[in-house]
Amino acid sequence: AAGAPKPLPSSGPKSLREMPHPLATSSSEEMGPALTPSPDLIQPRSIADKDLSLPNGTPVDTSSPASSSSLLNRLQLDDDLDGETRDLFVTVDDPKKHVCTMETYITYRVTTKTTRAEFDLPEYSVRRRYQDFDWLRNKLEESQPTHLIPPLPEKFVVKGVVDRFSEEFVETRRKALDKFLKRITDHPVLSFNEHFNVFLTAKDLNAYKKQGMALLSKMGESVKYVTGGYKLRSRPLEFAAIGEYLDTFSLKLGTIDRIAQRIIKEQLEYLVELREYGPVYSTWGGLEVELSEPLEGVSACVGNCCTALEELSEDMTEDFLPVLREYILYSESMKNVLKKRDQVQAEYEAKLEAVALKKEDRPKVPTDIEKCQDRVECFNADLKADMERWQNNKRQDFRQLLMGMADKNIQYYEKCLTAWESIIPLLQDKPETK
Amino acid sequence: MDDCLAKKMEITVSEAEKRTGRNAMNMQETYTAYLIETRAVEAQSEGQCAPVDSLWRRYSEFELLRNYLSVTYPHIVVPPLPEKRADFVWHKLSADNMDPDFVERRRIGLENFLLRVASHPVLCQDKIFYSFLTQEGGWKEMVNETGFQLKADSRLKALNATFRVKNPDKRFTELKHYSDELQSVISHLLRVRARVADRLYGVYKVHGNYGRVFSEWSAIEKEMGDGLQSAGHHMDVYAASIDDILEEEEHYADQLKEYLFYAEALRAVCRKHELMQYDLEMAAQDLTSKKQQCEELATGTVRTFSLKGMTSKLFGQETPEQREAKIKVLEEQIQEGEEQLKTKNLEGRDFVRSAWADIERFKEQKNHDLKEALISYAVMQISMCKKGIQVWTNAKECFSKM
Repeated sequence: AAGAPKPLPSSGPKSLREMPHPLATSSSEEMGPALTPSPDLIQPRSIADKDLSLPNGTPVDTSSPASSSSLLNRLQLDDDLDGETRDLFVTVDDPKKHVCTMETYITYRVTTKTTRAEFDLPEYSVRRRYQDFDWLRNKLEESQPTHLIPPLPEKFVVKGVVDRFSEEFVETRRKALDKFLKRITDHPVLSFNEHFNVFLTAKDLNAYKKQGMALLSKMGESVKYVTGGYKLRSRPLEFAAIGEYLDTFSLKLGTIDRIAQRIIKEQLEYLVELREYGPVYSTWGGLEVELSEPLEGVSACVGNCCTALEELSEDMTEDFLPVLREYILYSESMKNVLKKRDQVQAEYEAKLEAVALKKEDRPKVPTDIEKCQDRVECFNADLKADMERWQNNKRQDFRQLLMGMADKNIQYYEKCLTAWESIIPLLQDKPETK
Repeated sequence: MDDCLAKKMEITVSEAEKRTGRNAMNMQETYTAYLIETRAVEAQSEGQCAPVDSLWRRYSEFELLRNYLSVTYPHIVVPPLPEKRADFVWHKLSADNMDPDFVERRRIGLENFLLRVASHPVLCQDKIFYSFLTQEGGWKEMVNETGFQLKADSRLKALNATFRVKNPDKRFTELKHYSDELQSVISHLLRVRARVADRLYGVYKVHGNYGRVFSEWSAIEKEMGDGLQSAGHHMDVYAASIDDILEEEEHYADQLKEYLFYAEALRAVCRKHELMQYDLEMAAQDLTSKKQQCEELATGTVRTFSLKGMTSKLFGQETPEQREAKIKVLEEQIQEGEEQLKTKNLEGRDFVRSAWADIERFKEQKNHDLKEALISYAVMQISMCKKGIQVWTNAKECFSKM
């Protein structure tokens, strides 16, 4: 079952004044509600005249939307999102099959509980299908290109190999979709995304999807990242390091995936033999008199071990492998974000060079180039912040995943141990003398 | 068994050695020789250290001994030898007779054989067996001089008896059936067990790959690195542990194999009974027909059709003198036959009685031994589970420190 959302703070919905202001100057967590906070970070602010700066003294440019989001991102980096500060809970559960004339598909229930002002109601319950999650992810990538968007479980399944309506497949997918939404929920910028809000709340998502283009222009999403084929000369050291890390990381995960699959395969082959092994003891027991019970006992024991092994293999297939694959997909999408960052930097550098070549006597740098520089800096800042968050989450996720793997193996051996220990008295039993 | 040899004498097959020599066809061959060491027990208990006698024997000499015992004591379930060739192997085991592990297991099997014979109330008293243990030179000649090979029943004769015997003892028929089934089920068990061992080996060994990849991964991690690295070490330990586990399991397989071969020995006793019974039935039949012939000649009546009767009718009767002579011969034969039949009957009954006594002894031994084997197998499994829990618990702790 999906994890239950943590209980909301008993003091009721937080007042807007109590929410941390994204543009506050204070370096401490206590934010004075000096300004009316607006959660819609995509809209340009009217508070541009205020002289704001980062804790380290760097002046903040409030004219571009990207900077404010990155500011929020950086300020909330250390925010420990435990039960006390959390104000948004999302769960994916209750898969249902829908049979229509054209197609058959599964929908999942998406439940939201929140105190955020961006939501009209404190609770929502909608049904979504995989397509809708895919749409959301694409929208997030479009609208938040400087951020790392969590991965979705694989879209396509080879028909005939996997039954996409089987309980195991649906459950595995449900868990992955739940994780996807939870990761977005935990992200201080992505969780405030308009599309995310609509995804969680709209009764008719398809209508909203159609409006998509219109909405985009209304929001004034002028932050268009040009993929104009600019070539970056060299990646800055820290991003090069991230790129290298991701390369090696996804390689190692791929290896672990192959090893885990091989282990499962070997275990299943072992299981096949065990299933033939146990009953032979039983057959033998049928021939004997005094040894009948001990032999039956051994047969039953082997049978119990078979069951335990089956459970272990199932668990590994359903819980371990999908998470590994998710992280491989994650790495791939992150590498793409790195490339986009390179593009932005390349554009800036190209434009800078072009201007320098013109040798114009200029009093100041043209705004066009300023904007480019801005974009580069914001992108870098967002990416760095997201990477740190990602590293932390990754560490926790893998800690949990590997501990889980160890646990399942321990449980398997404990079940077998119990079975064998229980027949020792049976084997040692002295029958009554005939 | 207070007076069995095992109580008086310590017997071990302590060493195995590769030898080269020339065989009967003067071709060079390589074989393994086994060192048999014996020491009197009595002297030891008095605080003295008795000297150890030793001599070398090869497998073929053990075979000769066993053949001799089987022929000389057909009513005894003679302990079997360990297998001649490595059978029921799984991929890691060698099928090569010269493989050191095989030689080692055979050494243990041969020792077990000698101990079984030495603790058998009847077999332990055999002189040839005693000489096998104590007399290095000339033993082979001694065995051949007993002429036991002549007493051996031909395979064909035994097969014939199996099909044609009319009234075997029901208990032996059931026992024969049981020994066939036992052979079949233990063979099946050993075959599957070998496959199970093979697969289990695969599962454990693949985990070793985790060790390497965790190590490589830890190199690019900061806080996670140590935990991963040390967990990887435990995966290596896990992968390596299967070798000892499966080696121990081979002893269990050997215990099962002994009883697989024991089933054949059991079968041999049943076959002997069938032979003796068939022999008895043939002798009785022969006696009956001779008596009938005699009667016919004496009375002149032909009760049953016989070619002799027809020819005599066609070609004329014999003279009374000829008839008298024939009757006399037949009467002698009948008397002989009756003596023989009496003897055979007695022998048959003796055989059944003594064989059944040994079979009962064997049954108890079998039940005891197999129970012990099953217990030791369960203990092995328990140990394997505990090791598994230990390793994964250690790994889990390493992961928790990530």
